[in-house]
Amino acid sequence: MGSGWRNAIDGPRAMRMTGGAAGNDMYSMINPNAALKIVDYGDIAIDQNSTERSVDHVREMVAEIARTGAIPIVIGGDHSLEYPNVAAAADVHGKGNVGVIHFDSHYDIGRGRVHLLDHGQPVYRVINEGHVRASDYIQVGLRARGPDLETFGWMRNKGMKYHTMVEVEKWGWDKVMARALKEARGSTKKLWISFDVDVLDPAFMPGTGTPVPGGLTMREAQPIMRNLCAENDIAGIDIVEVAPYLDTSYKTALNSNFLLNACLAGIAMRKKGLKPGYLNPVSVDHGLDSYYGKKN
Amino acid sequence: MARTPSLARCAAAALAIATLCGPAHAQASDPLATLSPEKKAFLSDPVMLTRFGLTAEKLQVALAGRSAADVDAYATALMAVVEDSKFKAGRDPSEIALNPQARGWNAGTTVRPKMFDKLKRDDGPFSLKRYQFQKGGIPTFADAPVAIRKEDLVAGKVEVAFVGVPLDFSSGWRDAKHAPMALRGMDGLVGADADGGVDPGLILSIADYGDLTPDYMAPDRGLDHIRAMIAEMASVGTIPFIVGGDHTVMFPDVAAMVDTYGAGKVALVQFDAHADADLNDAHMISDTQTLTRLMEQNLLRGSDVTLVGLRGRGADVATQKRLTDSGVRILSTAAVTERGWQAVTNDILSGLKGGPDNIFISFDMSVLDPGDAPASGRPVPGGISMREAIPMVRQLCAQTKVVGFDLLDAAPILDPTYVSRMSANYILHACLSGIAMRKTGMPVKTAKR
Repeated sequence: MGSGWRNAIDGPRAMRMTGGAAGNDMYSMINPNAALKIVDYGDIAIDQNSTERSVDHVREMVAEIARTGAIPIVIGGDHSLEYPNVAAAADVHGKGNVGVIHFDSHYDIGRGRVHLLDHGQPVYRVINEGHVRASDYIQVGLRARGPDLETFGWMRNKGMKYHTMVEVEKWGWDKVMARALKEARGSTKKLWISFDVDVLDPAFMPGTGTPVPGGLTMREAQPIMRNLCAENDIAGIDIVEVAPYLDTSYKTALNSNFLLNACLAGIAMRKKGLKPGYLNPVSVDHGLDSYYGKKN
Repeated sequence: MARTPSLARCAAAALAIATLCGPAHAQASDPLATLSPEKKAFLSDPVMLTRFGLTAEKLQVALAGRSAADVDAYATALMAVVEDSKFKAGRDPSEIALNPQARGWNAGTTVRPKMFDKLKRDDGPFSLKRYQFQKGGIPTFADAPVAIRKEDLVAGKVEVAFVGVPLDFSSGWRDAKHAPMALRGMDGLVGADADGGVDPGLILSIADYGDLTPDYMAPDRGLDHIRAMIAEMASVGTIPFIVGGDHTVMFPDVAAMVDTYGAGKVALVQFDAHADADLNDAHMISDTQTLTRLMEQNLLRGSDVTLVGLRGRGADVATQKRLTDSGVRILSTAAVTERGWQAVTNDILSGLKGGPDNIFISFDMSVLDPGDAPASGRPVPGGISMREAIPMVRQLCAQTKVVGFDLLDAAPILDPTYVSRMSANYILHACLSGIAMRKTGMPVKTAKR
């Protein structure tokens, strides 16, 4: 709805029809389809002319899935969906028991707008209604125009843990990833991953409603998704803002599916009791010598 | 080029050995005169010359002024090329080896045991929709419920079942394998037909029968399974709507109709810029020789075949003559342009009279102009428009007993827009609409001209 660059409506269709969200993950040598019981639960009804009127039903349906013990993976749709998704997780697991790690080029803490919810305001609403404590809220990849110094001040005062691309520029991705992963582990009981695909560079995700240059690469985004899902008790995941018609190629949908698969592999790793950061020793090294020193 | 120095040489020597120049001039007028009868016949055969991009005139130019030995060597070299390009026992394998030890030799076509339907669902098509009035959701053809077994078709009294055959060989630009999924995910196959006056989804019982499994490395190997599965669909009275896949798929489609209705009982109307009637390809089956194989195996007689929309490089003169001599009726794109779609449609219908009642329509996307369908594996400019194709298909499906329909060679990756996919779905919908009109007795509005 919100951005004006439409077509997130076709995100689910594009991801269903493009490969990538199935099969062996070479990093862990786990095929999530074999390790986990996964189903396609269809689409949840939306009023395409009213975000506000849509979210109650989304919240009920996501809660219905979570209540069965299944991990809801919600394919958007635009980012306003984060609000009913996280609210549903809080409905099921209890307010304050769910933390969020939010990947996005935008801060999405807009407030005081004419509409109470759009793709730029879900974070404010989630925190303001008390579903998630601000101190349990982690953001990664921010770089879009938007938050001014006063807003950053508001975020700091609330205790939000933001990680901008400025931080990545200064310290490098590995350090920032390690910091965000540590914060996620230290968060409350359950973790919701809200993944706006525009956190990636438009080279990888041209099909998105509000692209911002200078984003993450797939080689940066896949390991953090795999590790987050391997290290935390996942309450649910949303992948939002896939707008296939803005991409004349297959890559937005393919990359989105591979990110999802990285997370599914992580969930399967956790289920198998593999330690965080695990990489399969066979796929990581041919093993014919000790080039990297002591064998893993 | 060869003539000038040769003439100069002859002129220089003219005084000394004038008598020798005589035969040389005579040879320039017929360079083949000195050849053996066998070689002369070889270089006089227009079919053979065509293979080398030659005509009698071009040959004269190439050989003029050459010595008899040169001309002989030329003929010998061309004959050697012909021989070398032939199959030679002992040198050439006549079969492509396969690996019988392959663990999953038939894995692609092994049907899931029914006991795996854990919920013990009743037979019949089942909806993938959560909401009563939902549009979209999990994509299926025509938003139809899903059927996966013959029993589902029977229990649901399914009249039309869509089935994908994502075979992607084709002699053209690839990606037909993605057509079934792409068409499932595109609008245009649902709703009331404003021109036909019916909503086929309302009138007909329609199902999505999933995809059939081809062998992506060898079309020959998968065709028996496809043929058997489509024949199974037809055997319970369902009209299969097959979404290919390249035009190779027409072979198992039509063969399955003949298996079901009997030899001599099925007529084919093929919308296609190409005749697909090539001879002499090293492979036994491909999109360029589907019609050849169907006729060669006596699954169709020439008089059972109507080709609509032929144009471009779709068939040379000899191929067209071979086809028309055998009784094939060819209605070219030029005929549609000159006389209009209605007149050509009338011709198709009158041509079908007296022939078999069971009509199979094969619609290759190439028949459409690339403006309406750039995503065609073998696009040919100057095609018929959607404004012509829709009423033609609708009327044929309304006024004949269509027992099957295939839409082939839609190659979605070749069109970054939605246009080709939407065109393809509108063609499928036009036939659904015609079938629904026939069922309800709704009259066809024919054009005046």
